[in-house]
Amino acid sequence: MIKETMTPTERTWAAIKLEPCDRIPVAPLMDVMFPSRHKGMTVAEGIAHPRRGFQAIVDTFDDVGGWDAMILPGYSLPIPPSIAAVMQVVIGDTRYPGKEPGFSEDSSPQFIEKELLTIDDYDDIIKLGWTGFAEKHLSRFFPLDPEVLLAWAKRQLDRYKSEGEIWKARNIPSLCGSMVMSPLMFLSTRRSLVPFTQDLYRFPDKVQAVMDAMIDDLIRFAIEAAHATGIPGVELILERGGCFYYPLKIFERFEFRYMKKMVNAFADKGLITVMHFDQDWTLNLPYLLDLPKKMCVCELDSTTDIFKAKEILKNHMCIMGDVPASLSSIGTPKEMRDYCEKLIDHIGKGKTGFILSTGCTIPFDTKFENFQTMINSVKNHLPQ
Amino acid sequence: MSELANAIADLKEDEVKKIVQDKIASGTNPMSIVDECRQGMEIVGKRYKDKEYFLGELIMSGEIFKEAMAVVEPKLKAGQSKKPVAKMVLGTAKGDIHSIGKDIVAMLLNAAGFEIYDVGVDAAPEVFINKLKETGAPILGISGLLTPSFESMKQTVQALEAAGLRKKVKVIIGGGIVTEVVRKYVGADAFTDDAPEGVELCKKLAGAVK
Repeated sequence: MIKETMTPTERTWAAIKLEPCDRIPVAPLMDVMFPSRHKGMTVAEGIAHPRRGFQAIVDTFDDVGGWDAMILPGYSLPIPPSIAAVMQVVIGDTRYPGKEPGFSEDSSPQFIEKELLTIDDYDDIIKLGWTGFAEKHLSRFFPLDPEVLLAWAKRQLDRYKSEGEIWKARNIPSLCGSMVMSPLMFLSTRRSLVPFTQDLYRFPDKVQAVMDAMIDDLIRFAIEAAHATGIPGVELILERGGCFYYPLKIFERFEFRYMKKMVNAFADKGLITVMHFDQDWTLNLPYLLDLPKKMCVCELDSTTDIFKAKEILKNHMCIMGDVPASLSSIGTPKEMRDYCEKLIDHIGKGKTGFILSTGCTIPFDTKFENFQTMINSVKNHLPQ
Repeated sequence: MSELANAIADLKEDEVKKIVQDKIASGTNPMSIVDECRQGMEIVGKRYKDKEYFLGELIMSGEIFKEAMAVVEPKLKAGQSKKPVAKMVLGTAKGDIHSIGKDIVAMLLNAAGFEIYDVGVDAAPEVFINKLKETGAPILGISGLLTPSFESMKQTVQALEAAGLRKKVKVIIGGGIVTEVVRKYVGADAFTDDAPEGVELCKKLAGAVK
């Protein structure tokens, strides 16, 4: 066991600010699913009972001897209670475990990819702005009293804040006080991938006009939520704009231009951005040098080349990741230890600028012994 | 390369529509139009391999190809269509309802001349087995984006063995989180996390079962 000379908060923030750490910090991207199963509940139970679900996270933390930071403090959603902010979440179709015939109580929620926004909606967003569009169309997506929705958002936000405070009392920092998608990610998932791709090629100017009409509101919601929760960071959710999906000319025009505006606006308010990159972004990595130094975390899921990321970004931002989901669920403890130690040696070189984490959210069918091995790896192994 | 193949490769949607309609109107053999469209798709595949094109261009070219086929296929006489490269059963594993990756691969395989039997999402092992028995397809593709799909894939391969079909059917698994570790766990013959690579692997598997 390595002798520790820093608290988890000091260690995590030192890694983000590219300052030396006593050892590499570890911060799994946690939700209630794996902890619920670990503590004898089904996934459906953990989701349906937020307090029990959250307690399962805390108990799992204790069972493995603790980790260094929560990327998000729990499973609640940090949404400011306004119609326009909540509407981002309401436009969606998700299947929940135990709620659909044949959909097991022990499965993860799954987002249904379908055309929820139409081409005509583009015109309305351009004309009315996001807030105007949300107020006009809310009943289409949420046919009940808006007050019910606002009360739900307030409960979520309050719970998120209190979950953050519970971790803070344990001297465990939470990194993100709000979550937001880039405009491209939002539109691609709500128009669905194929129609949105056709939009990009058929009506690029219109798509850009929609993004221009949305961006200031998205930034405002994220900052409001971070201020309300008192946690100085934003989780920026990114998947559909990287080089797995599109060439750099599309990334530059429809993704990076807005990412940069968001990250700069957050940094101006003193908020760090944890860029949650799903899928492969290897070719996009050099662009990240144009974002404010030491104010971002590059969170990778094992499909982007993390070694290339270190080479490019080592003096600019912290890298987080990237234990593959398959390793957590069907790998062996030895395979897990070997992989984590390789990351600690190479990405954690210099004992800074790296936080070991799961590649995306920890899978609900993770083997506990694999998770324990991942957490222990940083406590027993220094970068060689 | 023909004007039509180049128009598909360059993603010129309106131009493709016009050329196909003109060719049909002038009495061109519909089968040769299909061949030219497939040649265009091969150029797209090459550009993808060379990192000149990405998934977005694959999606666009696939949609353009589909639109062209919608015009040409009704003109093909019965029995005129070419023998498929191979029949293939494709679906998303039980417990997983993600369809996009599967649909993109199906579109590319269709364009490459495969005859695809898509059993949809959340497909139980018996659904795959029944479709393989019904069609006699020698290739099975199972897609999955969530870790529990690994167990469903494994159960499907075991069901294939129990049905006495394993030696006759090659199995390929695919999805964003599928790796060599997963392939071994499942007992599949091949794996991919990349749609065009999946098509190339299916061509190899088709060659192996002929």
